[in-house]
Amino acid sequence: MRENAREKIYFSTLGIPLIICMLAFFWIVYTLSTGATTLSWDLVTRSALQGGMFEMIIGTIYLLGGAAIIAGPIGVLAAVYLVEYAPNGRLTHIIDQAINNLAGVPSVVVGLFGFTFFARQIGLGISLLTGWLTLALMMLPIVIRGSEEAIKMIPPSFKEAALGLGATKWKSISSMTLSAAFPGIVTSVILGMARIAGETAAILFTSCVFITRGLPKSPLEPVMSLAYNLFIQITVVGERSQVIFGMALILFSIITSFALVAIILRTYYRRRQLWLR
Amino acid sequence: MAKVDVRKLNVWFKDKQVLKDVGMEIRENTVTAVMGPSGCGKTTLIRAINRMNDIIEDSHTTGEILIDGENIYNRSVSVYELRRKVGMVFQKPNPFPKSIHENIAFGIKIHKIAIGRKLEEIVEKSLREAALWDEVKDRLHDSAFSLSGGQQQRLCIARALAVEPEIILMDEPCSALDPAATAKIEGLMKGLSEKYTVIIVTHNLQQAARVSDFTAFMYLGKLEEYGNTRSLFENPKSEVTETYITGRFG
Repeated sequence: MRENAREKIYFSTLGIPLIICMLAFFWIVYTLSTGATTLSWDLVTRSALQGGMFEMIIGTIYLLGGAAIIAGPIGVLAAVYLVEYAPNGRLTHIIDQAINNLAGVPSVVVGLFGFTFFARQIGLGISLLTGWLTLALMMLPIVIRGSEEAIKMIPPSFKEAALGLGATKWKSISSMTLSAAFPGIVTSVILGMARIAGETAAILFTSCVFITRGLPKSPLEPVMSLAYNLFIQITVVGERSQVIFGMALILFSIITSFALVAIILRTYYRRRQLWLR
Repeated sequence: MAKVDVRKLNVWFKDKQVLKDVGMEIRENTVTAVMGPSGCGKTTLIRAINRMNDIIEDSHTTGEILIDGENIYNRSVSVYELRRKVGMVFQKPNPFPKSIHENIAFGIKIHKIAIGRKLEEIVEKSLREAALWDEVKDRLHDSAFSLSGGQQQRLCIARALAVEPEIILMDEPCSALDPAATAKIEGLMKGLSEKYTVIIVTHNLQQAARVSDFTAFMYLGKLEEYGNTRSLFENPKSEVTETYITGRFG
């Protein structure tokens, strides 16, 4: 009986952090939802020049989508190289460590790098392209690490089977390993996107401006984004507080829907992968 | 002329010599069993015939294996063409994480053998040859993992047949299967040898006796004895072979 009581106490103690998390989550959702009253279809579709948020929303999607399109393929190919081709030596080990360290670099430092290297040295200026490259740089280590794990999970017997049929190494990777590892790869891209989704510091001085005349007409033009405008609204403008919550709510929904699409994709592919069970 | 002629074959993994001066001739359209205790090099021997040992790091091979008179270890030989000609079935069924149909079509596609209706014909033919067609014809697009273990192994046989090989290597194909599934696959082998040259590794004596025309007995990396299955079992020349088949070790 006493043992039982003790067990119960342990388990309820373990539950407390969960309760704290849930409370925090509901509080965030509640706070954001207070902004919902300020939102209207008109506000969302109206140009920023007339006090709307259209360019910010589209700009946010541009930044996030573009970075993922750049970092996804590069990250996956890098992972394939590291797992399948790189010689198992010192250099590979150092590169692996470097990737780990890159994942931990603070975003403001990445932003500073993006500004000095992409914007100034290469001369891309404050632009959508600079933002894409900077954000992609932040995503890469996560995509590489995650994809590497996914590729390593594929049983060697699959590879043997493909090679045994006369497939070249690349054929076996491209038509078998990658499709088998696809759910894991998608997961790594989701995680990478989660890292950059609400990113402000990295785009602060690489791609964003407070106001533009319409959407960027080329990737070399600056862009507006919700995160950046939120930051300015809060620190500089400091008024229309309800609208700020509305903007935050929209940013939150965009990030969630990106993740949702990815999760649906992953579930779909995982369902076809009976061997994973 | 022998279909496969192994001459003075030596294989090392790192510093360990796994095969020592192995030489044997394998005739066309026969079933040849390679048996012996664990670690005797029998799997290494058949993996040398389609150069699957190449993918093992630090492996090193000397000697020759002639297939239709050509040394497969020549520089001019394409290992990919070789593996198409010499198919392999592994110990544990290892279908791809794809549908039944895609499993068979994989090899046909990578070797660009056929597309469209011709591809479908080869898929059906291969599944029929592996005695699996009737069981799967209505669910070709289900996952290969929805099949039972024995069916999966027959799928792997069909997959190997689809690229139109001449020789089929089987590495203990029944060791992960129950007796009923084993019987089915053994039943297949005789039929396959009419069209293909079949080489099977087994440590099951009865299996070697049941299915093979010729038997090789390997011991400690050497080919201890090789000959007609019947005479090898009834009348072994080597003492080690005799001890092994009478069940005193191994």
